[in-house]
Amino acid sequence: MSEIWRTAIVASFNKFLGKVATFLPNLLAMITILIIGFITAWVIKTILLRFLKAIQFDRVSERWGLTHVLSRGGMAYSPASLVSRFFYWVIVLITLILGINALEVAATQNFIAQFFSYLPNLFAAVIILVIGYLIAIFLGQAALIAAVNAQMESAKLLSRSVRWFIIILSLTMALYHLGIAEKVIVAAFSITFGGIVLALAIAFGWGGRELAKDFLERLYLKKKKEDGDHNHLSHL
Amino acid sequence: MEPSFQIQLEKIQETDILIGIPSYNNVRTIGHVVRAVIAGLAKYFPKAKAILINSDGGSTDGTQEEVRRVQIEDYKTILTSHPVHPIQKIVTPYHGIPGKGSSFRTIFETTQILNAKACAVVDSDLRSITPEWMELLLRPVYEEGFDYVSPLYARHKFDGTITNSIVYPLTRALYGKRVRQPIGGDFGFSGKLAKFYLTKDVWETDVARFGIDIWMTTLAIAEGYKVCQSYLGAKIHDAKDPGSDLGPMFTQVVSSVYGLMVHYQPLWKGVEESQPVPTFGFHYEVGLEPVPVNLERMIGSFRLGVKDLMEIWRKVLVSETVLWLESIAKLSNEGFSFPQDLWVRMIYDFSVAYHRGSIHREHLLKSMIPLYLGRVASFVRENQESSAQEVEEKIESLCKVFEEMKPYLIERWAKEKGGG
Repeated sequence: MSEIWRTAIVASFNKFLGKVATFLPNLLAMITILIIGFITAWVIKTILLRFLKAIQFDRVSERWGLTHVLSRGGMAYSPASLVSRFFYWVIVLITLILGINALEVAATQNFIAQFFSYLPNLFAAVIILVIGYLIAIFLGQAALIAAVNAQMESAKLLSRSVRWFIIILSLTMALYHLGIAEKVIVAAFSITFGGIVLALAIAFGWGGRELAKDFLERLYLKKKKEDGDHNHLSHL
Repeated sequence: MEPSFQIQLEKIQETDILIGIPSYNNVRTIGHVVRAVIAGLAKYFPKAKAILINSDGGSTDGTQEEVRRVQIEDYKTILTSHPVHPIQKIVTPYHGIPGKGSSFRTIFETTQILNAKACAVVDSDLRSITPEWMELLLRPVYEEGFDYVSPLYARHKFDGTITNSIVYPLTRALYGKRVRQPIGGDFGFSGKLAKFYLTKDVWETDVARFGIDIWMTTLAIAEGYKVCQSYLGAKIHDAKDPGSDLGPMFTQVVSSVYGLMVHYQPLWKGVEESQPVPTFGFHYEVGLEPVPVNLERMIGSFRLGVKDLMEIWRKVLVSETVLWLESIAKLSNEGFSFPQDLWVRMIYDFSVAYHRGSIHREHLLKSMIPLYLGRVASFVRENQESSAQEVEEKIESLCKVFEEMKPYLIERWAKEKGGG
């Protein structure tokens, strides 16, 4: 009886030791991956920060209005620091996932595979949003200045419309890229955009016929008047 | 360069004098300009070999044909003797981005190929050019050893507003030479200077457009060439839509001035005061046509700028200047005044912002236009009753403010560099 008892305990212990022996290399691999990953992340962050400072990324960001947006959102880091930190955390995240994957726990395998297949979409969406936002700021400012120089009273409204149109367009593209409710997004954008155009067409073509007539008449008369009293300065 | 043009130049081989006329759809006036040039060369340089180059931007109104057609049939009606060498005319299209500067580049290249000793360029839309302009633009180079002749005109007191409010005072304060019309459009220069201009790679920038005049003047001064000016009398252009090209004209000229400031910063930081340059020609008064000015429109543009562009200006101007601008926007049209020192401070602040590059440069320069119109409106309102002489004194006082406030510019320029 005692022999059976002893054999069972030894077998169980051996089985445990076997499992530990299988797991330990994986654990060591995970620790190694984490150490190398963290060091790589830190090195890349440092190199990237130096590179961005060398190409005056902060100055370019200021020119594009990104610094202003970040400071308005309470961000204490400079754009160069923010980008380098972003890449640091992306590498750390990838390192953690690789580390967990090294443990070869079945439950995490599928999740990690899915995460990596989705990652490019996530990156593309972030890039679309950032570029879209920068273009929106740039074109909004260009529209504002052009409208002021053309002496349009509603210059700010025009500028905001341009800015929001591009932001919404880039948001739609980003969501579409992420595969989130693709059909709903496209339909919502088409309906909104079509609706705006239709509303303008109706306003000028039917509902605001008289208003449009008045507006165009005033514009024409003003133009005729301006032709008469324009400045004749030779600027150069 | 067109192959046919090159063949013509090879046949000519070399010349003493070269006259360049840039043009684009100037059929109404170019005939008069060509006649004045031919008569001037025949009268004042009868023994010199001279070439007239029309560098055209693709005119569709018959400008090129007009240049080929025009000639002086009977020299006896204007001269006592015939010129020794007949004056050759060459019409050629220029290449590169459309603009006056690209046209000038072709003229410089021709000067270099033909090894011309003295050159002059004149605008093709001039109504007031006379044969005497040739003597006044060429003789200082051809006989007196000067390298660059800038024009000096009698102009209406409200004409040349970019020149009077920005380019002349700023160039004078920066480089220390009192060249009164640095962007006049009609210049004389030596073959040596033309060759130097060709060594610079600027033909894809605003220099290839309206920036060419200030670029030529600034380089001549800054590089130590012998500079003078000649009094040419009245400058009257062909009529054109005055509001149509203010935007590009303003941004291209100011962009060139600011770009040159960045390039020549070690030089201008050391210049403390300005000196007059030698002046040729006989000064006389001329009657000038009145210039209609719509003050209300210009002040309206300034107020709209203060209302909508302040967000951009705040990144450029110091807070004290911003408050000052806001306070003058509240003034009535009758009491509207844009003080000189505020204007100078603003021009210097914008130059620093241009240098720093913290705002997209085209946006920065375009956003200056309402401020410029405000300053012009104030200047016109204050000088409605002033004589031309009194207005000239006002411009002189503005130049002194520019010179006195130069330490402010140097301080801000250095601070921006240090502060990043």
